[in-house]
Amino acid sequence: MDSAWPQNVTEENNYLMEESMQYFRLLFLSFALLPLLVPEAWASARTWDVDAVHSNVYFSIDHIYSKVHGRFKQVQTQIAFDPKQLDQSRFAFTIKVDSVDTGEPKRDKHLLSPDFFDSGKFDLITFTSTSITDSGNGVYNVAGTLNVKGETHNLVLPLTFNGIKDHPAAKGKEVIGFNGQVTLDRLALNVGSGKFYKMGLIGKNVDVLVTIEALAGK
Amino acid sequence: MQQTDIHRSRSKKSIGKVPILGGISLFAAATLSIPFIYPTETLWYKVGLDKIMLQAGQFAGLLTLILLVLQVLLALRPQFLERAFAGATLMRWHRANGVLIAASAISHVFLVLAPEGLANLPVGWRYWPEMLGAVTLCSLLITVALSRYRTPLKLNYQRWRTVHRPLGYLIVLLLTFHVLFVSESFAAGLPRIGLLAVIILLFFGAALAWIRRGRKTSPKKTTI
Repeated sequence: MDSAWPQNVTEENNYLMEESMQYFRLLFLSFALLPLLVPEAWASARTWDVDAVHSNVYFSIDHIYSKVHGRFKQVQTQIAFDPKQLDQSRFAFTIKVDSVDTGEPKRDKHLLSPDFFDSGKFDLITFTSTSITDSGNGVYNVAGTLNVKGETHNLVLPLTFNGIKDHPAAKGKEVIGFNGQVTLDRLALNVGSGKFYKMGLIGKNVDVLVTIEALAGK
Repeated sequence: MQQTDIHRSRSKKSIGKVPILGGISLFAAATLSIPFIYPTETLWYKVGLDKIMLQAGQFAGLLTLILLVLQVLLALRPQFLERAFAGATLMRWHRANGVLIAASAISHVFLVLAPEGLANLPVGWRYWPEMLGAVTLCSLLITVALSRYRTPLKLNYQRWRTVHRPLGYLIVLLLTFHVLFVSESFAAGLPRIGLLAVIILLFFGAALAWIRRGRKTSPKKTTI
């Protein structure tokens, strides 16, 4: 009994030791995999923090003879971009539909109604890039999927790359800029049934202007 | 001299029920015609049942405004009304009219909001005129409920009256601002000027009545 006691203790210690090691291995593996959950970690291209105040998604649409301009005030943008690593670069936009602002609250409310965006059911518009190609003259074609009102559509957003330079006001930071324009057929995106278009009130083509400024440490 | 006295006493007698009711009908008809003579742009984007509902909603809203103006008149009981109709009748109408106001206000809210979708309510600072309308409706429903159920709620008459009067005038003010800023029909021109004129006259009449009542109830000065 006396001789058996230390042996049992050693076995138990070994078992505990092994179990602890297994636990630490799992813990280490979990920490190693954790960055994969962060979208920025998907791409190894340089990531940029968007300057939300100077980045906007504007739109304009015909109203009989005039043009109505508007924008989405809440747009979340994620950018990983390096002109030399286009395969690892990516853009992702998430637009809060109820942040639409055309300068006329009643029109905004109408845009949020089932006549257009139906924000009660579909509160977000998203665009996620799938590939980026250089089309020359500083223009990059960002191909991706646009999700509007729960439906996914393929879209190519041509973005003009304005360059990278030291930020004139933020020390130790560089700034990158893009501008892009695309015309969307709102009826193809199911934004409206077409009744106002048939009445000759509201056009079907929406000119969208995406303008981005983003910062990153040098 | 004698002739003028007779003339004065006749003029004090009564304006007559027909001219009063005719005047009220004209005022109501003129107000209710506003959405049709000065249609809002919102109607451009409504078709079929939605358009009918929105027009009915605007109609109900203006009916609420008319009834509220009449409600203040019934509460003030000006001499020309008291002479044409008995004071007790005016108070009976005042009570019944309160319920009508609540009913038309509720139907206005439902008819105006339904075509836009109940999931798309105008909530937030940018919709402040609509939010003001919601505050007005709540104040109105509280006032009507407290008046209707004053006895079962065992509310002291004097205390209730102290709250009821200012709340009533506050509702008129809130509703005026709501109408002036929510409806494009009242954005400019005759409807805007007309509404402002009616409300100013109403408050001027209320101030006069308040001063007169103050004089009547204040103790007479006696000289020794």
